[in-house]
Amino acid sequence: MMEKIKAFLKKYQLIVLIVVGILFVVAPLIINGTVKKSNYVIDIMVRILFYIIFASSLNVINGYSGQFNIGHAGFMLIGSYTGALLATKLGMGGPWYWLAIPIAGLVTALAGLLVALPTLKLRGIYLAIVTLGFSEIIRIVAMNWTAVTNGPLGVKNIPKVWLFGISKTSSPLVMYYIVFAFVILCLYTTYKVINSRVGRAWMSIREDSAASMSLGVEVGKYKAINFMYGAFWAGIGGALMAVYYRFISADMFIVDEGFNVLAMVILGGQGTLVGPIIGAVMVNMITEFFRFADEFRLVFYAILIIMMMWMRPQGLAGASNSVLAGKQIKKNDKKKSKHAAKKERV
Amino acid sequence: MYVLQQLLNGICQGSIYALMAIGYAMIYGIVGLVTFTYGEIIMMGSFSAFYYFMAFGDNLVLSLICGFATAALVGIVVHKVCYQRFLDAPRHISLICTIGMSMLIKNLAIIVFGSTMKGLPIFFEGKTLVLAEKTVEGFHQQLSLTYLQIVVIVTVIVLAIALSLFLNKTRTGVRLRAVSQDRKAAALVGVNVKNTTLLGNCIGCGFGGVAGILLGLYYNSIIPTMGGAAGMKAFSSVVIGGLSNIPGAALGGISIGVIENLGIAFIPNGSGYRDVFAFVFLIIALVIKPEGLFAKRGNNA
Amino acid sequence: MKKTLFVLLLCVVLVGSLLVGCQKEEAPEVVDSSNTEAEETEAPVEEVTPIKIGVAAPITGNWAEYGLGFEVATAMAAEEINAEGGINGRPVELVVMDSKGDAKEATAIARQFADDDEILAVVGDFSSTCCMATAPIYEEAGLVQISPTASNPDYAGLNDYMFGVMGVQSAEGPFVGEYLLGNYVGAENVAVIYLNNDWGVAASSYLIETAKAKGINIVAEENHVDGEKDFTALLTKVQQSNPDTICLVTFYNECAIIANQIAQMDWDVQITALGPGASEQIIELGGENVEGFLTSTPFFATNDGESAASAFKTEFESRAGFTLNVHSACAYDALNMVANAMANTDELTRDNIRDELAGLKGFVGVTGPIEFQPAGDIVRKYLIVGIENGEWVIKTDYSYAE
Repeated sequence: MMEKIKAFLKKYQLIVLIVVGILFVVAPLIINGTVKKSNYVIDIMVRILFYIIFASSLNVINGYSGQFNIGHAGFMLIGSYTGALLATKLGMGGPWYWLAIPIAGLVTALAGLLVALPTLKLRGIYLAIVTLGFSEIIRIVAMNWTAVTNGPLGVKNIPKVWLFGISKTSSPLVMYYIVFAFVILCLYTTYKVINSRVGRAWMSIREDSAASMSLGVEVGKYKAINFMYGAFWAGIGGALMAVYYRFISADMFIVDEGFNVLAMVILGGQGTLVGPIIGAVMVNMITEFFRFADEFRLVFYAILIIMMMWMRPQGLAGASNSVLAGKQIKKNDKKKSKHAAKKERV
Repeated sequence: MYVLQQLLNGICQGSIYALMAIGYAMIYGIVGLVTFTYGEIIMMGSFSAFYYFMAFGDNLVLSLICGFATAALVGIVVHKVCYQRFLDAPRHISLICTIGMSMLIKNLAIIVFGSTMKGLPIFFEGKTLVLAEKTVEGFHQQLSLTYLQIVVIVTVIVLAIALSLFLNKTRTGVRLRAVSQDRKAAALVGVNVKNTTLLGNCIGCGFGGVAGILLGLYYNSIIPTMGGAAGMKAFSSVVIGGLSNIPGAALGGISIGVIENLGIAFIPNGSGYRDVFAFVFLIIALVIKPEGLFAKRGNNA
Repeated sequence: MKKTLFVLLLCVVLVGSLLVGCQKEEAPEVVDSSNTEAEETEAPVEEVTPIKIGVAAPITGNWAEYGLGFEVATAMAAEEINAEGGINGRPVELVVMDSKGDAKEATAIARQFADDDEILAVVGDFSSTCCMATAPIYEEAGLVQISPTASNPDYAGLNDYMFGVMGVQSAEGPFVGEYLLGNYVGAENVAVIYLNNDWGVAASSYLIETAKAKGINIVAEENHVDGEKDFTALLTKVQQSNPDTICLVTFYNECAIIANQIAQMDWDVQITALGPGASEQIIELGGENVEGFLTSTPFFATNDGESAASAFKTEFESRAGFTLNVHSACAYDALNMVANAMANTDELTRDNIRDELAGLKGFVGVTGPIEFQPAGDIVRKYLIVGIENGEWVIKTDYSYAE
């Protein structure tokens, strides 16, 4: 049935895209006027937008090139701190922050390169633990390097970013549109990159790294570019977060946060553009939904994750025809098992 | 003298890490999947000892057995939920499943056991074995091992030897090794792969449980959120040692313990950077030798 | 078929969560004990609408221990207020929300509270990070946030609506440096081990500054991370510098663990502390190893039920199932302060409550007298307490520091 929905969506792709886009743009305006707790709802939506950027960027690394990065929190931290420190210590707040954001992105991309370099030869779980290690190292350094990052005191009073001279931009509604603009930019560039040579190189590395190497793809170079790209957008997201929450500290980027983003990517579906969007929306809504359960909230969330892996492991919108989806998982779908049997006979 | 003392501290702590690493390496070797629930299994072992002590009094050996059994039981549940289905599937699926499982166990533990820290009974009342003493410039320095440290090291050595004997000299052990080398081939020669995998997983988890109790005794505190850090240490030790290489994992654990302690000893504000030492060591080790420092060549990683 | 069902279920959940999220206020924790009889005997003229106070705390997550303490303490305070007729006849209703100790969740909660016109004040959060991240939101909404435990020195001064009840470290640090270490213990060589978070860094730096000014030799300054359990390496290192006293600036769990590990090392050194308060957990976890342990504390509650603090302690422990800590006591006082401020206000608006709270005089809670400074934090007076024969004993009273 999922396949029927997908087929339908593919056919009317452009229309669906426009409709969803309009929805995202118009919804907050409507909510702002009518719904009682509008600031709260819009805040949740802004949070979702942040996570869309983070999940998308992680998806590029994990889903499109098949590398295994579980330390995304580290990149988010670098972006946030760079933005925050540029704004507070170097006076790049207010109208100059628009310059600080891409700088933060570039600094994070540099960090991505640093992470990629020693790990080019690593695969699978080795790569994962190294990314985790980097994430923790970055966090601990941020917590201890008092001279630069204020140590555990965090960076406070981050000035609001000015939009055409309007300085009341910490209101959720205005920030929503600012972040939304970046989300569109992120998704659009990702779409372009995925469909370019670089993107194809990534996907070939994902499917079969040895084969692609034999066809002349410089695996090392593309893996590094991939990390840098993912890190760049994570940095942009982080810099935006800094001006939204206006206070950041290292404990906002613990390993659990990285796992959170990873869960969104996997639940939503790796290897597709829309997967991380669905994942981000789903996870954030569900954690809000389960508030009534008090202390059982996370228990339910955990059960949901497990159930999801059982029922649809490639995520809601995952690439079912890629090596990422579990082809050999026990299915009750006769078609697929017949297909698999045919393949094995070859 | 000071250096030696820190070295001894490091070896003692490292041996606890080594025990965790051995268990993890067993699980990885036999089941073939990376897990993030190991920390929670360690935690369950330590809590089972806590309740054992409350119910039955202070018998150390029996509590270790109790911890082993509890952890193995939890391991069965984890196996059925997270591993069995996904044995041949892409790795990240079981990984996320284990992340979910770990969240589940941790939060249930907070609800059931309560979120405050608890203490285990104190054994050996701080008696120490003084290995050497010397008075330098008015300081009285000594090189000593507390009885507890000795017990920890001995337990780990005993268990490691027992495991080695088990794996090499008994039929079940041979079956386990066969499955860890090649599942399909093992099935071909008549090994019941399904049960053996389960057994391997449970033994690995049992080791984790015992490690949890030792951790609780050594630090004299247990809390439901202790799993995260412990699991991370176990995982790092194993990766350094070469994933399914049991002696390698043990060495990895000990080396992490030593490096951490020496780092704290000699670097100002070192305690804050404790994890950084371990991770930097890990990264350097993997850059030099991507299959793990002590991995034998040709091992299926 | 299974998959279809699953997808449908998921859609229902998603849509439902969006709707539920909007109507969240229908499920607050209603705490007002049944005093409807009391209200009915008076002239039941108008509808008595409850006064809503928001409570933000980490009920799940890594600090669940403290969050649950907040929940119990504030619930107790609210019930007692309602049993006495509420605030000017209106019952207090608490709306408790879980922030998980995560700044983003705290922000979501802050927006909810800010948007809800019926919520007139907020007690919370536990961690300074959450409090500081939500400060701009509360300021814009004109909503008071009174945190029992936020101790980042920059917190209260962020804006006019932030209040902190814990007590500034610029008071406790010097007290310990000068009076506890200097006068009482007469220490000469002190090693300081502190928790590396905003509170620990601030507290220890004030302490060290004062101690040095008093002529005490600080032979070692080491920090440890939150959640650290293994201090053997750290202690071995500190031991090298041969201090006669150790000063621990950290939470009670860590104090107990360190004391145990010091005993295991067979090291005889005076252990002092700043921060854990007279916590029973230290005795429970430390046993014999904490005999002679000294610490500063803003308040003290004995088990005999004689003083108000002691009665509070007994009641709290019977409800919560775990021992009282200074954080929960501060939460109790925070709620009572808000209630007092509300009782004094003619017209209950958020701004009026804020002004009343800032100027509240003569309030004495279970943690002692509380009066806000202009920035919104308080300067406390401290006692020195110690452990003797497995019990906490007051060593010096508040006047020691005069």
